[in-house]
Amino acid sequence: MTALTSHLKLLEAESIHIFREAAAQFRAPVLLYSVGKDSTVLLHLARKTFWPAKPPFPLLHVDTTWKFPEMIAFRDRTARDFGLDLIVHTNHDGLARNINPFDHPPSVYTDVMKTVALRQALDTGGFDAAFGGARRDEEGSRAKERVFSFRSAGHRWEPRRQRPEMWQLLNGRLGKGETVRVFPLSNWTEGDVWRYIQLEKLDVVPLYFAAERPVVSRNGQLLVVADERMRFEPGKRPVLRKVRFRTLGCWPLTAAIESDADDIESVVEETLAARVSERAGRLIDHDTAGAMEMKKREGYF
Amino acid sequence: MHVAALRDEVSVGPRTVRATQAGALVKLLTCGSVDDGKSTLIGRLLWDAAGVTDDQRAAVALASQNRAVNGEKIDFSLLLDGLQAEREQGITIDIAWRYFETPGRRFIIIDSPGHEQYTRNMATGASHADIAILLVDARHGAKRQTRRHAAICDLVGIKKVVLAVNKMDAVGWSEARYRDIERDFLAMAGSFNFAQVMTIPVAALTGDNVVYRSTAMPWYAGPTLLDYLEAVDPVAELVDAPFRLPVQLVLRAAGDFRGYAGTVTSGRIKVGDRIVDARSGLGATLRRIASMDGDMPVASKGDAVTLVLDTDLDISRGAVLSETARRPVNADVIEARLVWLSETPFDPEAGYLLRTATDLTPVTSMSVSALVDFETLASTPAHACGVNDIADCRVLLGRATAIDLFRDLPGTGNFVLVSAIDGATVAGGVITWAQAGAPAVGDNVLVLNRALLARGVCADLGDSPADEAEFNRRAQEVAVLLRSAGVPVLIEL
Repeated sequence: MTALTSHLKLLEAESIHIFREAAAQFRAPVLLYSVGKDSTVLLHLARKTFWPAKPPFPLLHVDTTWKFPEMIAFRDRTARDFGLDLIVHTNHDGLARNINPFDHPPSVYTDVMKTVALRQALDTGGFDAAFGGARRDEEGSRAKERVFSFRSAGHRWEPRRQRPEMWQLLNGRLGKGETVRVFPLSNWTEGDVWRYIQLEKLDVVPLYFAAERPVVSRNGQLLVVADERMRFEPGKRPVLRKVRFRTLGCWPLTAAIESDADDIESVVEETLAARVSERAGRLIDHDTAGAMEMKKREGYF
Repeated sequence: MHVAALRDEVSVGPRTVRATQAGALVKLLTCGSVDDGKSTLIGRLLWDAAGVTDDQRAAVALASQNRAVNGEKIDFSLLLDGLQAEREQGITIDIAWRYFETPGRRFIIIDSPGHEQYTRNMATGASHADIAILLVDARHGAKRQTRRHAAICDLVGIKKVVLAVNKMDAVGWSEARYRDIERDFLAMAGSFNFAQVMTIPVAALTGDNVVYRSTAMPWYAGPTLLDYLEAVDPVAELVDAPFRLPVQLVLRAAGDFRGYAGTVTSGRIKVGDRIVDARSGLGATLRRIASMDGDMPVASKGDAVTLVLDTDLDISRGAVLSETARRPVNADVIEARLVWLSETPFDPEAGYLLRTATDLTPVTSMSVSALVDFETLASTPAHACGVNDIADCRVLLGRATAIDLFRDLPGTGNFVLVSAIDGATVAGGVITWAQAGAPAVGDNVLVLNRALLARGVCADLGDSPADEAEFNRRAQEVAVLLRSAGVPVLIEL
């Protein structure tokens, strides 16, 4: 038995219920595994849901080729340790056109290397349902998401046409051409995710813990230089600073925070005391007004 | 390390909050219209009770300066601004979910629209809540929509309701005014099945009695809104409720493992207890409650578990595992009260499926018998219903399914109605009556058909559309009278 606090136990049970409803109702589900803390919790819940069997679906990672090396290593180790199938997909067309986060605005880069890539991967695999780690507390348009988020043909999200969800009942009956994003962590907050990681003793990518890292400052945000592809502004060189990440994405687009929190206890403490919202470090969210809603309409999870 | 050991005092907003082990989860519905100050109340609650981060505070403070609303420093309703951008795109009629926690509790605010044309959204939001905050403007008191909100909360099973009498500042903090509103509301609430009704005088704009105790209303000795929310027991559980577990999946694994996975919707079960599959009547003894964290001795309401039995029942998803004494009804016919959610009205010719806890049952035929009037809460005979209507209906199922009455066991007594054509969720409802065994003509179901009615009750009517409407009206009226006398009736015109 684990020592989960009562509200985490309720959230865990709710998530397991959602996983089971989706597994029972959809033909070919897949779990969108982005390697971050939310994916870590999502995968752990999936393993609990179907235990002693393995989760009856593969993991899918959309690799933009701009992820931190630590993330890729963690991803491969996780799939291996748990004996799960891992599908890694990159939009090779975008790669061939050299779409990258330095030469293109975040909206273009994200659309090609993340949104389009995700659509390609889902279509190629013939998946009718994709589990994602999105939470309603993250952002305005996500605050209105359903647990079963229906996407019309072409993976489009139409906020006005979302299915009503009443009580614990989840209707997964698909119309023609429809697919679904399933969000088992809908009612979790960032604080819940960290407390759960702590209580369940889950392994997360080391980037979440403070360490001396090579950092450059850009528009008031701290970027960690992950490899030689970094474009420096004139006269700027990386300096070592003790930083960590609250959220992980593509390294040129995800800001680090200065912190001394180098273990799970201090990260939980810092998160619960946080005075700035989590996605403040996500550069793609601030590109244009309503950026997240636009991305979701295009098929982003 | 356990989070309970985290003890540092952290300053979050104006209130000092102790970062400690969070308590239970409370799902809170807020309803009322914009005019009642709902956004301001939620904003104030989040602001004063620590649900707001610094970048959000700064953004709101800046926007408030630009607007200079009310000549006030801060416009708390701007905290819901993320949603305001969507308002321009026409989707704020939807439910929004917000989260905050206090030292004692983790709260989920289900913010739902109050206007009549969004009844379906409100009902959808309300179905997830333990507690409802109904908001009224102290200058106007409980309005017709307050009664409607209370009726919807009651319909979907909310047991605890708080009336927040807002804008007390606008009535000079008058106790007399508050007591009038309180009296009216308590009288109204008496006609519902609420277990607990509370009224609190507040002023969201100034924060009085929201998080901080008002000094302007010394005559009020009750809790502030947040005090109440932190103290209330969100669970309205029956003592000794019968065990139910609707089976979601049958899990198979190596070593002949076979487990029935599902969430306990009612009661509790322990290893060694006898259980029965309600549909087949087959029984077994519970051998294990298996989990990745080790086996458990007991499972209770809300637990998502995997049950291993001593004998394998040949059952699948849709079965309901029950205690042996008090079993579900193996229903072939149900009567229900539902809220119509779809823009496409009810069509007796369309194909529908009944989605109960985990079962999906084809509907053979369905008829609407009445619409509920929110003003009077009375039923008006009707045979049609459309979006936002609350209707009473009767459903004949293509095969039997295990269900309970909603008022006894909500988790196995609710359903959604699904379109067989496109899979859309067209209605959500609660089961008010159920019967096992197919109804047969001449058995105990009276079939009201055209010939039967034309002979006498409708002998004076012709073929005009007006007469046809009158024919239908009389048919429904006759059915209502017969049903109230306990005679099951089917209308087949």
